[in-house]
Amino acid sequence: MSNPWKFLPRRAFLRGLGTAVALPFLDAMQPALAASAKPPVRLAFLYVPNGIDMANWNVATDGPLGELPRVLAPLSALRGDMLQLGNLTHNSGRALLDGPGDHARCSGSYLTGIQVRKSTVDIASSISCDQIVAARVGVATRFASLELGMDDVRQAGDCDSGYSCAYTNNLAWRSATQPLPPILNPRLLFERLFGSGPALSPEQVARRARDRRSILDFVVSDARSLQVALGPTDVRKLDEYLTSIREVEHQLAKAEASDGAVEPGMDKPYGTPPDFADHFKLMTDMISVAFAADLTRVVTFLVTREGTQRAYREIGIPDGHHPLSHHKNNPELMEKVTRINEYHTAQLAGWLGRLKATTEGDGNLLDNSLIVYGSGISDGNRHLHDDLPTLVFGRGGGAVRSGRRITYRRETPMANLHLTLMDRMGVRVDNFGDASGRLDLASLS
Amino acid sequence: MAAAALPASDGAEPRPPVGVVFDGDLATRPDAVLAVALLNGLSAKGEARRISLSVSGPSLAAARLADVLAEFYPTLPAGAGYLTVGMPDGAVSRDDAPALAQALAAKAPDGAPLFESRVERLIDTADNATLIRNMLLAQHDGNAVVVLAGAATGLARLLGMHGAREQIVAKVQHLVVAVGAFPSGGADVSIATDVAAARRLFAEWPTPIVAVGSEVGEAVRYPGAKLTEGLAWSGAHPVAAACRALGATSRDVPSAALAAVLHAVHPDARELRLSEPGNIGVLDDGRTRFVPSAAGRHRYLVVDPAQRGRLLSSYMSLVSAQPAPRPVRRPPPMAAAGAPAAAGAPAAAAATPAVPATPAGGKP
Repeated sequence: MSNPWKFLPRRAFLRGLGTAVALPFLDAMQPALAASAKPPVRLAFLYVPNGIDMANWNVATDGPLGELPRVLAPLSALRGDMLQLGNLTHNSGRALLDGPGDHARCSGSYLTGIQVRKSTVDIASSISCDQIVAARVGVATRFASLELGMDDVRQAGDCDSGYSCAYTNNLAWRSATQPLPPILNPRLLFERLFGSGPALSPEQVARRARDRRSILDFVVSDARSLQVALGPTDVRKLDEYLTSIREVEHQLAKAEASDGAVEPGMDKPYGTPPDFADHFKLMTDMISVAFAADLTRVVTFLVTREGTQRAYREIGIPDGHHPLSHHKNNPELMEKVTRINEYHTAQLAGWLGRLKATTEGDGNLLDNSLIVYGSGISDGNRHLHDDLPTLVFGRGGGAVRSGRRITYRRETPMANLHLTLMDRMGVRVDNFGDASGRLDLASLS
Repeated sequence: MAAAALPASDGAEPRPPVGVVFDGDLATRPDAVLAVALLNGLSAKGEARRISLSVSGPSLAAARLADVLAEFYPTLPAGAGYLTVGMPDGAVSRDDAPALAQALAAKAPDGAPLFESRVERLIDTADNATLIRNMLLAQHDGNAVVVLAGAATGLARLLGMHGAREQIVAKVQHLVVAVGAFPSGGADVSIATDVAAARRLFAEWPTPIVAVGSEVGEAVRYPGAKLTEGLAWSGAHPVAAACRALGATSRDVPSAALAAVLHAVHPDARELRLSEPGNIGVLDDGRTRFVPSAAGRHRYLVVDPAQRGRLLSSYMSLVSAQPAPRPVRRPPPMAAAGAPAAAGAPAAAAATPAVPATPAGGKP
């Protein structure tokens, strides 16, 4: 009997009854990859709004990371995989001559590096760096990019002093006038990643999900056939991968079951976990699966939007995040901001830990990624756009020396980081935004 | 003298006085140090604003002085932080400008430092080209001037930045350079330091350029003996300390950089007149050559001999001025009415800086 899996291509699928589940990177694929046996490098940007408690964020000295300040402490186990970059600046987030609107401006410029037009209807930004990368490397994957969020997708109206909600509610821009709204609903994201039918409403998708078995049940025959042909390492990898999909399905089912148990008046889209941590885990677990299966190599994740009023009752903070960020140096309010910042990094640490635990090639999924976590505002109380909180996780397939803080000169454009990351993704462009050059991610200042 | 502020257009709020970018050699040129003080004098009269201060060579001592001067002559509202000083990239020696460094390290009898600077390392400064680009973006069109009194390294780099040329055309009235000798003369150290940058500047800078040669500086020497006298109102005046360290108090100092700032802000000042148009070239050894041409975009300044006394009097009055009052912070406008979940403006007590301000004590 012939072995149909003998020459396993990089983009292979488990198939069955209208379902196609992409396979992760397996050792069996490497002969087919010949000279280019290295796993691909993935790029992700995670954005948190309203600034950070910088006094509990910045590491005191350049060089190898030791004990981390309070907000970063949840990431201690990942300090060897982390770069903290200092003094990066988004000049285009500043007022310049456009008056109030820092939240929208810094969000709109975060990945575009330009000053967006102040308007609620006649929006103008620029293609974002993630989309420049997606346009090139995305041809090799099922999805050129994925845009995710957890907060708000309104695209119209005034979200900040005369700036369109398009600026606060999107990170990715395909062109100057075409933002890419993030997917907020986990079920919709799951269906996008693994579904193959026509677009359905969230309620229809959820109903269908309740009525049927796991998506993996449809491909089980193919999976068994494949496992016979794989070596023990690949069998383990495949099992881990399918388990992770199953786990996502369980999380989705739990979220959908919780829809009847939500507090009255709570603004929670159908099928979305009410708990921030659960929602974050669900979304990031799907990013992990998408990365592992090479469904995409480019992700933007607007964790919450600039100016968000989101409360964090999960950790005993009923106040809105944005009002808290204007704490006027009130210690009680500042403490709450710090706790929100810590809560965010704790969720991030959980995800990155899972990425690191996912083996790939000679390393792990985190090694083969470049994951930027940061904000377009440093001091949320004063709306400052210099020394922006910026972390880069992963080694980009060996292109980055991690585990250190690098402080650049003041006013160094954030767009310099974007140019550098595009380089690492194999996409060389001459100019981007207000970049003045490229960063050395290896050297100390 | 002509008013420096441009009129408001279409009935809008009046524009602020012209913004001055100053990039100079504060490590070796006393006239550049005095020019910063003169610019403060113009600011105190409401005729100009210093929008950017940078040193033209890689010298931490000079950058420290620039930071001290920026603090001594503040330009931001109280509590609004400070403006980072600029410096070009390059190898920085730990012991550059030792006399200046020693002067800045002076202590009061009680041991407290006389001059405090936030600049300790290269990372405490900004690349001067990036800083100038960023500051120009915060200016109304046509409401900025640029003064160079040192090597052209930073301005040449600015010309190479993507989109900067268009911004210069939109924002800058003219560039005034206190370098060279005109119509011809000896080599200039400021030019010889970076000949390629000077060549690029004269060849590519997209606005009119006015050069202030050494002959202008020699025509009106600032009397060193009068220098400390005029600054005696402060017991610890950084300009006096710096000039003393640079040996300027024991001799009369050429004043090219002062003329450059004065002309930049008041191009119709009658003490100084312009040459015919032409083109300035740069020779390998740092000399400059002016070739008249009706289509040229360069001119050089000429001192009217009859106006020397008046000019010196203006210099001395402006240099000795006390710091201009800090601008008053205006409360930000209200956020858009009815905006859903509007992010809005920051609290009035923390108004959005329109320019690249850094919070006080904002080191990592």
